[in-house]
Order: sequence, then structure tokens, then C-alpha cells
Amino acid sequence: MPFDIQTVVSIASYGGAGICMGLGAVGAALGVGYTGGLANKALSQKPEASGTIVKNMLIGQAIAESAAIFALVIAVLLIYLSPPATNLLTASALGAAGLCMGFGAIGSGVGSGFPAGEVCLAIVRQPAISGRLTTNMLIGSAVCQTPAIFAMVVALMLMFLNVNNLSVNPTWAALLGAGLSTGLAAIGSGLGGGLAGGASVSGIARQPETFGKVTTIMLVGQAVSQTPAIFGLLVSFILMFKAFPETTSIAAPMALLGAGISMGFGGIGPGIGNGFTAQSAVKWVARNVEASGILTRVMLVGQAVSQSTAIYAMVVSLVLIFVV
Amino acid sequence: MEDITHIPQLTLQLFGFDLVFNTYTILMTWIVMAALIIFAFLATRKVAFVPNLFQVVGEMFVSTFYGLTRDALDDALAKKYFPIICSLFMFLVLSNWMGTFPKLEEPTKDLNTPLGLGLLGFFIAHYAGIKAKGFKKYAKEYCEPMFFMAPLNVIGELSKVVSISFRLYGNMVGGAIIILVVSHLIYSLILPPFLLCFFNLFIGTIQAFVFTMLTLVYISVQVK
Repeated sequence: MPFDIQTVVSIASYGGAGICMGLGAVGAALGVGYTGGLANKALSQKPEASGTIVKNMLIGQAIAESAAIFALVIAVLLIYLSPPATNLLTASALGAAGLCMGFGAIGSGVGSGFPAGEVCLAIVRQPAISGRLTTNMLIGSAVCQTPAIFAMVVALMLMFLNVNNLSVNPTWAALLGAGLSTGLAAIGSGLGGGLAGGASVSGIARQPETFGKVTTIMLVGQAVSQTPAIFGLLVSFILMFKAFPETTSIAAPMALLGAGISMGFGGIGPGIGNGFTAQSAVKWVARNVEASGILTRVMLVGQAVSQSTAIYAMVVSLVLIFVV
Repeated sequence: MEDITHIPQLTLQLFGFDLVFNTYTILMTWIVMAALIIFAFLATRKVAFVPNLFQVVGEMFVSTFYGLTRDALDDALAKKYFPIICSLFMFLVLSNWMGTFPKLEEPTKDLNTPLGLGLLGFFIAHYAGIKAKGFKKYAKEYCEPMFFMAPLNVIGELSKVVSISFRLYGNMVGGAIIILVVSHLIYSLILPPFLLCFFNLFIGTIQAFVFTMLTLVYISVQVK
């Protein structure tokens, strides 16, 4: 069987599509299932509110599923879009796009399940403000999708990148690293943002008059939880758009791949950790709204410390790219 | 893909240096500023007990953001920093909405705009911190918990600028790329206007608010 360039590119795009949709289905399914479970619990407590609860469950599940739909779009593009392949970099870029979107959809899928589930329980507690609860859930879940959107942007950029004038040897690893960096780092951020969103919905159900303050601190907490994914995006951009000189050694591509892996795995923990901090801060602002100023500050300081591990990972990535 | 990442530029030679202007971004920024100035003029021209439409919207902005600033800082500082916080939000929200109109583009889609605003917020926060605590106490905070952690603390502070500006830029460019690809796939049928509403109006508003609130809490963390 002859292995020409076109065959290798096809292998990469089909393999990438499989990985993309396979991994992308994991997170959304978990999130949607969690939502359905809590909706059942809510229905058993208050069967007469079944209309509102089921409606909110379906809205929430639709948003939680959008991460999987992003993965579906990328997978379909990878299968049907067969670019004219001139060198092996196309194969690497297509495989990396699949990996990036596949991993990137996991966190957001699980994460946006938390607010969607909590809103069902919240309606049982406060049926009168179900509109306000739905709004809050929509904002929380939509912001949760940001890491998945970042992953989709990197995946699309990788697919449409013009690779004709690039050096093959270190750049294949740079493209793979770019995919892994954003894809893996998005897992933690998506999950973390979901934790904050869930706490905010249940907090508003506890004290409806804290709506404004709880939504504000939720947005700030979610934004800071997304910082590791933003660092991953930065490393991906550098890896994609920096020109690397042609080399024959194996060390240079490994350094670039290592840069992506370092930022990717290094971003998972801080994303979830920041999410825990934001979850507690949101929860306690809803219980003690007078202390919201000090709680916001302490949340930010705590998240900054938890973030330092992501910063170490980013420093190692940048050293691997620019120094080694 | 090229027309998203491509930015029209004008290069001038001056004393041997290249001065590069991103013409379209500057033009769009001017349009946003002109719209805000006209709005401010209309809102304050005839201040009345029974307010006109623009006065109502203006009062809404002012009262909401004055409340938020007062919660984060104390009363004296809130009076000082409230104008920049409110105008930052108004500028960003209008910038993010620009792409909804045909022929116009979001200035925030050019990384230079969010990066410039991020640096602005960074310098304001550190100026406020030095002014409130004195330079000695301010510098001492970098040496916590141990003095050899100082370089990492500095990198941590700088990474705040990276994260705040790339968050806005990533969201706006992400929306633009997704709209472009989806429009291309389905031949611009039905879906693109909804996507435009979602990414520009909804996500754009949320990200403008997040940017403003993060600038505010960075000031508040430095001051306290």
C-alpha cells in the first residue's frame, strides 16, 4: 500500500474527526445527564411545577449540548473538507484541530450542566422568580462555553492555516502543541466556570434580592476561572504564528510539543481550583450580601494564588519555545 | 480566514522609524467615540424632572455603575474612579455591538484595542495602589510570602493584562470566525443573524461587563 502525502493527510483528518467527536461527546453527555437527574429530583419535590421545570431542563440541556455541537461541526468539516495537500504539515494541522476541539469540549459540556441542573432545584424553592433564574442560568451557561469557543477558534485556525511556506520539521510539532495547549487547558476552565454558575443559581433561589450582586461576582469568578484557557490560547497563537527555522534534529520539535503539553496539562488544575473558589464566594455572597466587597477581593486573591501554577506552566512553555 | 485576521494598515516613515496605523480600527474607534459624545450631549442637554429618553438611559448607566464602584471601593475613591469605569463599559459595549451593523467592524477584534485598555487598567490600578498605600508598602507586597517569589509575583501581575485583554479579543474574534464559517457552510441562510445577535449583542455585552468589573476589582485589590 503506497503512502503518499494525500493518504497521510486523509488518515490524519479521519482520525482527527473521530477523536474530535468521540472526546467531544463525553463532556456534554455528562452535563446533560446531570441536568436530567436534578430535574427528576425537582419534579419529585414539586410535581405541580412540572411545566416550568421541564422547560428549564430542556433549555439548559440545549446549552450544555452546544459544546458537543461545536465538536460535531469540526468533525464534519474534517471529514468533508479535503484541502489540497502539498506537504505533511497539513496532516499534522488537521490531527491537531481534532485533538484541540475534542479535549476542549469536555470541560464546557460538564460545566454548563451544573447551572442547568441547579435551576431545576431552584425553581422548586422559588417558583415565583423562575424567569430571573432562567436568565441567570443562561448567562452562566453561556459564559461556560467560552473555553469551548476558544478551542473551536484554534481548531478552525489550524484547519485553514496556510502551511505551504513553513518548515516541516519543527512546525509539525508546533501545530500539534498548539492544539493540545488550548484543548487540554480548556477542560479545567470549562468545569470551573460551571461550578460558579451552579452556585449562583442556587444562591439567587435562596435570596432573590441579591440577583445583581450574585450575577456580578459569578461573572468575575467565571472570568478568572477562564484565565488558564486564555494562557493556553496565547501559547497556541505563538506556536501557530511564529516562524521556526528548518532543522534536522529531533530536539527542537520535542521542545515545541512539550511547550503545548506543559501549558495544556498545567491549565487543567488551576481552572478547576479557581472554580472551587468562585463557587464558594458566590455561595456566601448570596447568604451574606453585605460582605460582597471583601468576599470578591478575597476570592480574587485566592484565585491569583491558585493561578500561579498555571503561570509556572506558561513560563515553562515560553522558555521551551523561545529559549531552548 | 485571511479577511478576519487581516487588518488594513498605513505605514508612515518618520525620523527613520516606521509609524504603523491600523486605519480601520482607528476609524471604528472614532465612530464609537463620536456616538458616545453625541449620546452624552443629548442626555445632558435638557436635564429635566421629567427626563427624555437619553437622560433615562444615561441615568441608568450612572446609577448602576456608581453602585458597583461604591461596593468595590469606598465612597471617596468611588467618586474618583467611577467616571473611568462607567465610560470604559460604555465604550466597550458599543464597540462590541458595532459588528452587528453592516460595513462596520468591532474595534475590539483588533488585539491592540483590548491590550491598550488592559494596560490602561493595569497602570490605573497600580497608581491607585501606590497612592493609597505608599510605595514602600506597595513594593513589600511583591516579596510575599518570601522575597525570592518577587519575579513570579511580577509575572503574575503582568499575566493579568494578558488574560484580561485576550479574554475580550478571543471572544470577539471567536464569534467572528464561527459566524464566517457557519455562513459559508449553510450559504448564509437563516442562522447567521441569530449567531450575530448571540455573539455580538449577548456575549459582547457580557464580556464588556466582565472587562469593566475586572478592571474595577484589580483597582480594589490594589487599594485595600
